[in-house]
This record gives sequence, C-alpha cells and structure tokens, in this order.
Amino acid sequence: MASPERNRNDRLFPGARGVGYALVLVVCLLTVIPLAYMISLSLQSDGEILAGNPVLWPAHPHFDNYQRLFDQVPYARFFVNSIVMAGTITVAHLILDPLAGYAFAKFSFPFKRTLFIAVLATLMVPFFVRMIPVYVLFSQLGWLNSYQGLVVPFLCDAYGIFLMRQFLAALPDELIDAGRADGAGELRIFFRIILPQAKPALAVLALFTFVFQWNNFLWPLLATSTTDMRTMPVGLTMFNQEFFTQWNLTAAGAVVLFVPTAVLFFFTQRYLVRGVALTGLK
Amino acid sequence: MVATVERAAAVAPVRRRAPMRRRQARTALAFLAPALLFFALLFFYPLFRELYTSVFTGPRADVYAGFGNYTKAFGDPVARHAFWVTVQYGLGVVVGAIVLGLVLAVILNQRMRGRSVFRGILLVPYLTSIAIVGLLWRNILDPDTGVLNRALHSVGLPTQNLLAEHPLATLVAIAIWQQVGYTTVLFLAGLQGIPGLYYEAAEVDGASVWRRFRHVTLPLLAPTTLFVSVIGVISAMQEFALPYLVTQGGPDNASDLYVYQVWKTAFGFRDFGYASALSYLLLIVILVLSLIQLKVGQRGES
Repeated sequence: MASPERNRNDRLFPGARGVGYALVLVVCLLTVIPLAYMISLSLQSDGEILAGNPVLWPAHPHFDNYQRLFDQVPYARFFVNSIVMAGTITVAHLILDPLAGYAFAKFSFPFKRTLFIAVLATLMVPFFVRMIPVYVLFSQLGWLNSYQGLVVPFLCDAYGIFLMRQFLAALPDELIDAGRADGAGELRIFFRIILPQAKPALAVLALFTFVFQWNNFLWPLLATSTTDMRTMPVGLTMFNQEFFTQWNLTAAGAVVLFVPTAVLFFFTQRYLVRGVALTGLK
Repeated sequence: MVATVERAAAVAPVRRRAPMRRRQARTALAFLAPALLFFALLFFYPLFRELYTSVFTGPRADVYAGFGNYTKAFGDPVARHAFWVTVQYGLGVVVGAIVLGLVLAVILNQRMRGRSVFRGILLVPYLTSIAIVGLLWRNILDPDTGVLNRALHSVGLPTQNLLAEHPLATLVAIAIWQQVGYTTVLFLAGLQGIPGLYYEAAEVDGASVWRRFRHVTLPLLAPTTLFVSVIGVISAMQEFALPYLVTQGGPDNASDLYVYQVWKTAFGFRDFGYASALSYLLLIVILVLSLIQLKVGQRGES
C-alpha cells in the first residue's frame, strides 16, 4: 500500500511540523499520565492515599498492595474466571469463524448469498437488543452465574467470519484440489492444509477476540451474581463499591487487569494496528 | 480406478457434476452448521423474542399491552430525556474524536521520529477495559479525594467539581480520551490509501498546502469520515458502562444515557416489556443509521 513515491501527502505547512509534534506529545502525555497515575496509586500506602498528595511515584512503593489484593479479595478467582471466559471464547472463534468463512469462500451451495447476508446482518444487532432475551432464556436454562452462561453468547461472530472469508478466498483452489486428489477428507483438508495457511488472519482474530472479551463488562455484570463467578472487570467495580476508600487496592486490581493486554499489545502492535484498520474499514 | 472414473465421465458427462455439487453443498452446510445454529439461537431468536416481549407489560411481562409500551415511550419524559442526552453525548464524542483523530492522523502521517510509538500510545486506552477507564477517571475527578483537584489546589488554582457541574461533557471527554487512538488509526489507513499522484497534480497546479488538504485530502477521506462517524454514533448510542461507573446517570439525570436507562428499566424496575420496547426503538434508530451508511458507502464505491 505504501509505495515509495506516495509521500507527497505527508507534508504539512512549513512550521506546522513543530506545532504538530508538540500537539502529538501533549495528547500522548494526557494518555499516559492517567495510566501512570493508576500504577502509582496501586503502590501507595493507605496513609498516602488518605493524605492524597498527587505523586507520580510514591517514595516507598508498597508492592504488598498486590499481595493484599489476592489475600483480601478473591482476585485470583476473578483472574481465573476472566481467563476461562476470554480463553474459551477465543478458541471457539478460532474454530467456528474459519469453518464458516471457508464454506463461504470456497464452496457453492444453495442459498449461499442469503445465508451470508443473514450472517452479516447480525452485525447490525447490537448487544443491548440481545441483553434482555438472552438473560431471560439463560435464567430459564439455569445458565446464569455459570461458565457456559458467560461464554455461550459470544462463541462466534460475523466480523470473524467475514475476515476469514476475505482471507481464505485469496488462497488458491489448487490447495484444496491437491488435498482431495490425495484422498484427504474435507475436515482433514481444512485443519491440515487451510488453517495453517491462515495463521496471520487467525492471529489478528485471536488478539481481537481475546482483548475484547478480557475487557467485556456488560454481560459478565449481568450474567453473574455471586462473588466466585465475577470476572476481573466486574469484580473490580464490585470490590470498589464495597471498600470504596481502598483506592490503592482498586488500582492494583486495575493494573493486574491492564497488564496482560498491555504486554500483548506491546508485542503484537503491528498486527493489531493492521487489524483495526482492516476490520474497521470493511 | 482412474480409468473407471474416466469411463464414467465419458458415459455420463452431465450427471457426473451433480453429485459432486451436492457433496460440496453437504460439506459446506456441515461447516456452516455451528455458526448458523449460533446466530439463529443467539441473534435472531433474541431479536424476535425482544419484539414479542415488547408488547407485554407487568412485572412478569405477561399482560398483553399491544403498542402500549411504545406509545408510553414517546410520552415518557424520562425516556425522551435519555434519548436526547444520548444524542448530545454521541455527537460530542464523534465530532471530538473525528476532529482530534484527523489532526493527529495528518501529523502522524508524516515521516517523523517515533510515530509508531505515538500511535501505539494513543491506542492503549482503546484496548483498556472500560471498567478501568471508568474507575480511574472517577478517582481522578472526585471533588474531595481526586488527584485533579489536589493538584489544582497545590498550585493555587480554583478546584473543580466536573462530575457535578458538567457531567455529560465530562463523560464525552473521557470517551474521546479512550477512543481517539482508534479514530486516528482509521484515518491513518484512509490517508495511506490516497495516491500521491493527486498531491503532485495539485502541487503542479500551484495549490497551497491548505488548499491541498481542503480539496484533496478531505474529499478523498470522506468515505472514512462517514464510516467513522456512523460507527461512532452507533457505538455511542449503546454506551452503558460510563454512566454506570462514573456518574450513575446523575446528577439530576444529566448523564442518563439511553441504554443505561434501559438497563435500569429492565433490571432495576423489572419492567422487561417496557425495556424491550425502549430497546426496539433504539434498534430502529441504529438500523436507519446503518442503512444510510451502507447506501452512501455503496454510492461512494461505484
């Protein structure tokens, strides 16, 4: 996309360069400082929190806040619940989205167009429309406050199917024909030949699904009712309401929730940025 | 075996393709079955179920009300207020994120040192859980214990109670803080898609930098801008966590966003029928917006 000769549109006004640079710096500082403050808060003692002097780094960082977080609050349990929820959903997406995307990309069958439009139409069904009926349905099934209740509403989605279809359509048909000529079954062709070819697209899909579900707030808030079933984002806010003065522990909990995404993002930034641009713009 | 197939093909050249096709269809449907089952049970069934529930009333949503919930919604000052608050919120977030995102994208589109680092930093809040964002800003902006006022106080400036005095504008600012990186990346992708040729032509014609931006960049970014604004408005209309976590819709319902109101109606007041009708009305607004985007998007492509 970025051809060497394109860069005529990257010139700003003469002199605007410095102003632009300054603006970007200011916005980045405004982005970083609150998050840095959160880390600082997580290391302050109860006394420092009460005194409330704005410091970016406490003189005597209290790393034991993190210990207290796991001792005083079932935060390890929240962590496990979050892993189970985001992990299971991600694995499900990595199987179900490419399966459907592959069918749409490489097979011909009756009502293909209609079914594809129906799948895409689900993109227009916002979560709040599903919220009440799925809640009622799950309460009848006895699935509220359970892992299947957390996971089932998000097992696959149209974005993933569309992404995989676009990617798999570009793979040469000869790959599939070769597999068939060797006498491989269709599932075997899919798992042994097609999926390995799709690794870059699968990586983007996995990242997005995991990060989104790791941060999911509304459904776990609604679907769980006991402490032992809370995921981290929900547990954090509940915990904050119960012990609202303990901002240092709340901040420590926020950091524990934040760090995995930040690390993941740091190592996969390029894919994520490409993914945002890709899934964002059709 | 090859010989048999060839002979069979020679004898019945037409019939050979039909079973092959049917087999393909069967395989495809088997591959699609889990996804289709999922969408049927967790998208289309809820969609119809919501519509069905919306014509009932009462605590168990079992008293038939016809269009009662809908007519009630149009006359309900609380629902109307929540809708208009949401429109203001959505416009504020979208306009803010678009203007700031476009400016940042144009700057970051230059060859400059560390631009991928800046872009990365800007994206971090977008990937941060809304639970963190909400709690963090509630802490920072707290009038008594928040760091903002303590910092203002320590340098002798008057303290602010933003959450009490400008609750909606504050939520808008927090949402822009979280989303501007995403908007910037979308605009950067749009900028990369503009061929350099246009700029060279404009330069040959002697167009100034501003005129190039105004007459080349802006029009060619129009599809991106439209896309960003429509998905921005649609997602802003669904905002729940910020009012839930930061302001509880207050003070005096000033930041009572629509989906938060639906949530309270359903799970606070246990009025599933009315909440379903409120959901359906918002769904209609969102569908209209999506269709406009599809229509204009298609016209832009042809």
